Amino acid sequence: MEKPKNTSRRKFIENSALLGALGAVGMSQFLQSCKPRVKLDLKPFLDEAPDGELLKAGVVGCGGRGTGAAFNYLDAGPNLSIHAVADVFQDRVDTFRGKLKDERGVELDDANVFVGFDAYKRLLETDVDVVIMATPPYFRPEQFAASVEARKHVFMEKPVAVDPVGARAIMAASKQAESAGLCVVTGTQRRHGRNYTDIYKQVKMGTMGDIVSANAYWNMAHLWFREQQSGWTEMEYMIRDWVNWTWLSGDHIVEQHIHNIDVINWFTGKFPVKAVGMGSRQRRLTGDCFDNFSVDFVYDDEVHMHSMCRQIDDCANNVSEHIRGTEGYTNCKDTIWNPDQTVKYEYEYPLDAEGEIDKTGGNNHLVQEHIDLVTAIRTGEQVVQAETTAKSNLTAIMGRQSAYTGKEVTWDEMMSSDLKIGPEEIVMGPVGMEAIIPIPGSSPE
Amino acid sequence: MNPLIIKLFLASTHQMTGIPRKKGKRYNRLIFLSGILLGIILIFAGNTAVVKTSTNEFCAACHVHPQATQTWKRSTHVDNQRGVLVNCVDCHLPPKGHGYLKEKAITGIRDVWGKITKDVESLNWEEKSHLEYAKDHVYELSCIGCHQNNFPLGLSVEGKEAHLYYEQHASELHCINCHIAVGHYSQDQIHAKNVDFGMSVTVDKQVYTEPGIIDGLNDFTEFIPDTKVSFEMVAIPGGTYLMGSPETEPLRSADEGPRLEVKVSSFFMGRMEVSWEEYLAFFKQTGVQGKTSDAYLNVKQAGEVDAISGPTPPWGAPDQGWGKGTMPAMSMTHHAVEVYCQWLSKVTDKKYRLPTEAEWEYAARGGTETPYYFEGDPAKYTKRGFIRKIFGVDTTNISSNVNYRLNSMGKSTLPGNTQRNPFGLVHMLGNVAEFCADWYAADAYEMYPAGRVDNPTGPAKGAEYVVRGGSYKDEADRVRSAARNYTKTDSWLKTDPQIPKSIWWYSDCFYVGFRVVCEFDE
Repeated sequence: MEKPKNTSRRKFIENSALLGALGAVGMSQFLQSCKPRVKLDLKPFLDEAPDGELLKAGVVGCGGRGTGAAFNYLDAGPNLSIHAVADVFQDRVDTFRGKLKDERGVELDDANVFVGFDAYKRLLETDVDVVIMATPPYFRPEQFAASVEARKHVFMEKPVAVDPVGARAIMAASKQAESAGLCVVTGTQRRHGRNYTDIYKQVKMGTMGDIVSANAYWNMAHLWFREQQSGWTEMEYMIRDWVNWTWLSGDHIVEQHIHNIDVINWFTGKFPVKAVGMGSRQRRLTGDCFDNFSVDFVYDDEVHMHSMCRQIDDCANNVSEHIRGTEGYTNCKDTIWNPDQTVKYEYEYPLDAEGEIDKTGGNNHLVQEHIDLVTAIRTGEQVVQAETTAKSNLTAIMGRQSAYTGKEVTWDEMMSSDLKIGPEEIVMGPVGMEAIIPIPGSSPE
Repeated sequence: MNPLIIKLFLASTHQMTGIPRKKGKRYNRLIFLSGILLGIILIFAGNTAVVKTSTNEFCAACHVHPQATQTWKRSTHVDNQRGVLVNCVDCHLPPKGHGYLKEKAITGIRDVWGKITKDVESLNWEEKSHLEYAKDHVYELSCIGCHQNNFPLGLSVEGKEAHLYYEQHASELHCINCHIAVGHYSQDQIHAKNVDFGMSVTVDKQVYTEPGIIDGLNDFTEFIPDTKVSFEMVAIPGGTYLMGSPETEPLRSADEGPRLEVKVSSFFMGRMEVSWEEYLAFFKQTGVQGKTSDAYLNVKQAGEVDAISGPTPPWGAPDQGWGKGTMPAMSMTHHAVEVYCQWLSKVTDKKYRLPTEAEWEYAARGGTETPYYFEGDPAKYTKRGFIRKIFGVDTTNISSNVNYRLNSMGKSTLPGNTQRNPFGLVHMLGNVAEFCADWYAADAYEMYPAGRVDNPTGPAKGAEYVVRGGSYKDEADRVRSAARNYTKTDSWLKTDPQIPKSIWWYSDCFYVGFRVVCEFDE
């Protein structure tokens, strides 16, 4: 046997110091109060991921969010690199490489740049350790399952699926990742916010009593859309206009509003058992999505969550959450009020370098996600968020299906539904799918 | 180890007390030493006994029935690519630390008792290999003890869906609900989409071109055009009878009353339960081979005869490997049977349908008011009760008429082996249970107005359908003419891993079939 080297002792002390520090923060998560102890399974917030061996990431889907996520990843800590990229469009890849070179001085090897629908498969064959996924959500279940099979750690953007079949595929692959020791962080960024997490702890400690009702809002102006260009096939057009097509985005209740729905699920610690919703299409110019939804979600203890989302210009806007308890209410973000509207608890935002209150809460949530992922990989404190996100995703799908059909839709139905949307075959060319905007119910005879 | 430690402790304290040893104490010391020795021997002997009686050879010494060693050797628990061997006790006893020794003792006593008092040859081993019996002899903790990861990399999409379902319904499911053949190989218990099911039946007979002809209210033979299949229809002249059972009937259930005076119009009824031959003619003409999704079919106009969407391939083996041909068809859903009747009506240009519950009981009674259409007391035909269990039951009379628990050996049987009832019908009682058209309600008979009811059709709405006649699995009480039962959709589809579950085949019910009636135009 080889004799242990002298440095190992120092290393050991360093490691134990780190472990001790982590442990101390971890211990503080065992919260004691008048309520029985709750273990919240929260990881400590670090300003930067710990150092470790080089972690190479590959980016699958390098549009706006993919590019952003790649930069967020590089900002998460030392010894992190972007190593490969895959996208369906050449121009996207070119722009990405240009930006990466100009802003970070990173040049990608031609051999690690892949274009096409199966580009992600070739990216998975490279020696990347981490895959960053930001393709339209339609593609996520297949790409995530393949990444797990390839034994890669994953960061993936929300939403993770557009239909129940896809959501369950994510759940199953998430369980595979868990047993294979892989780490998976998803882009439900509020869960990575110090402010949200602080209020979450307070709610769990019983600061505002038991939860009795909840509201979730994402009301805003139209998001964005693209017009068809000459030279684009139908498939190319749809993908470039993806947020407006249900089969690609899941509709905006899934694509955007999942954030707020996920917060309510997180705080209640549950997923709704059924939903009745309504919605319509009033102002949208392209695609087949609705532009407004209103859904009543019901949890098993008869707590209701009302969810409301709209993408129409010049209307009352509001993106937030609201939860009422027996002894107060909260905006989930930074404040808990007493029933008489006086403040009961407030999150203390840190001060930035200029001494101003830093409302981002110390670190941008988008970077924090990557810090949390890299920390999990490097410390071995495994984090796998995919299943939870898939369930919040399925919650949103349940609401959408209720609005589309006008019927009550149950969680059990969603967990056994064979609904799989999208074209038969994914190729650049005509899609051959009729864009039908759902109309619930029937006309009077 | 405890007694040993105590003895050593006592011995050493004796020494430490420093009391001078008298001569007489030498004898005591001898007892101490031999006690220690005996303790050691017992511990080693006990351990050896446990080990010796847990070997595969020891188990196989008594378990010589064909289901045991041979099927085990052919199973994936022995014959697998990883070269891992799973022994008898690995599955048939709980893991150590979870009541291993206790279960071993109980099992041992039971097996020794069985070995002494029972005739191995006469036991129905095949029936015992079925899920409901097997569940009692396979410990899920033991399955999970080895198979700790339900989601290994490389798992198929179907496997992932099925395990996801299992994790959500773990309390209702046992691993062997799906993986029953892993320990003892059986080709009849496959757990997979059975795409070739019923596709290779060839009967060397002429192909009929014309359907049968009805000539008044007389028995006739029906021919299914473009197939080699025919079957007999029996004329049942209409009449009035008392439906249900009197409160004095032994082993009766409350839902069989109050008795109802019912008038039934004339009709024809299949002499036998619909056979595989008949059902597969439908399956082959309308079935969608290789298609995996029922949803795909539902998109087509179901219910419309022109576009009858037939059954998808079943999951597993609906015939349980007992043979097809003229054996009664089973495990198809009520929905499938309704579509079968639509199809049969179309190809024969007649009005076929399921019997109403009133028609069914009228036909089963054949004019009798007794528990069975033959003589006998249901209470005397069951094996329930200690005395009857020990001394057996005289089943001669019932056995020549009904294929039920005590004579079925756990299987359905051919119609030729059984006597006909007064109308000339075979297997109205027992064999496979039979669907009726009515919704089931326990209080169905109470809901009718007083006085005679003409051609009742049951409750207007319901969740489950009436099932009558009992089956080869049932005791004597369930095969009485008045005994009522109903479909159990959830549990009959428990292990169907398809999403959504099949509307054509029950994955977990192998005792329900049906019989058709043909309407008679008076």
